[in-house]
Amino acid sequence: MAYGTINVDTVTTSTQGGVLGAGNASTMKNRIINGAMVIDQRNAGASIATPNGYTLDRFRVNQTTTGKLTAQQNQGSVTPPVGFSNYLGVTSSSAYVVSAGDAYWIDQAIEGFNTADLAWGTANAKTITLSFPVYSSLTGTFGGALRNSASNRSYPFTFSIPVANTWTNISVTIAGDTTGTWVGATNGVGVYVSWGLGVGSTYNGTAGAWSAGNYISATGATSVVGTSGATFYITGVQLEVGSSATGFEYRQYGTELALCQRYYQATTGIAVPVVINIAAFVNLPVSMRASPTITSTNGTFNVLSTTSIYQSVNGSGYAGTSLTLSAEL
Amino acid sequence: MYKLMNTLFGQNIVRLSDNACIPFDPANSDATEFCKWLKDGNIPEAPDGGTVPTQDEVNAIIAKLS
Repeated sequence: MAYGTINVDTVTTSTQGGVLGAGNASTMKNRIINGAMVIDQRNAGASIATPNGYTLDRFRVNQTTTGKLTAQQNQGSVTPPVGFSNYLGVTSSSAYVVSAGDAYWIDQAIEGFNTADLAWGTANAKTITLSFPVYSSLTGTFGGALRNSASNRSYPFTFSIPVANTWTNISVTIAGDTTGTWVGATNGVGVYVSWGLGVGSTYNGTAGAWSAGNYISATGATSVVGTSGATFYITGVQLEVGSSATGFEYRQYGTELALCQRYYQATTGIAVPVVINIAAFVNLPVSMRASPTITSTNGTFNVLSTTSIYQSVNGSGYAGTSLTLSAEL
Repeated sequence: MYKLMNTLFGQNIVRLSDNACIPFDPANSDATEFCKWLKDGNIPEAPDGGTVPTQDEVNAIIAKLS
């Protein structure tokens, strides 16, 4: 091997001269966090009756009007695709006809630090491939989109589910956007990746091209919320550099959890002693993306930094306090 | 609705709907929501033992979070 090159192993191939972070690399290949839908800190697998925000870690289910969808890890208890143990399940609660301004969708916001190398918005924009197994009670053409932080550059895409209630592997290759403004190496939103579940015309664009619009899905896509009881299950989500999908980048559980904890942490069993006039500090296991919002079951905890929180104590102590910390995008 | 809170290391924001403590960090999405709420002309409640912020103070908060 020549000096300065590296052999990078994928599931079945070895590519000489590969570049870490590129299509065949096995380190930071997948820009999606929790793509295998393993981590569910908020709900621990329980059903979410009216999701409108984060569900499984890093994945949001968004509804213009809540009550049209339910969501849950492994909802419906179908057998996940080979190689996976979990999926994000969404089910329509009614037969709802979306109006132009309605939008029901799943998405993940990828942090700018994890997409800066894509060089979108420049002549050097890299091609990416989005891949995922998907399962639905419906058949037809479904839609999704990539979108920038300012929601003024979008790439709607479509994918087909030809057989109901069967996992179908989807791969969508997208040439990077050479124009527009994309967040670089910061803790802001680098790219939104979305899957439409019923999106009105305001937020649908023509599939297969970049445009200056705020699109969540593609024109003509199937509406999941349009059929009562319709299901949409997804897992194995991977967004990688390159023009073809490679094997899913499995990560160790601890690694995946730590990646999720940059954005959200749920902690139980915090104890604060009964003393006078002290500040009880809690060091966080992972440095968060930004200073977090804190909710507590006992008293008020304050933010010191992205790595530390504290509670001012004056004669009252607590045991078994549960905290949530959110620094989501 | 929000309330300001004086702490050992400066001020935080309390979201009254769930008593969440929100930092003064423009990268925090909840702080961004608070900033939008201020821009809509709303005024947060005074911190314990303090006074309701003046419009100039609110403008300073908006500038800090923008």
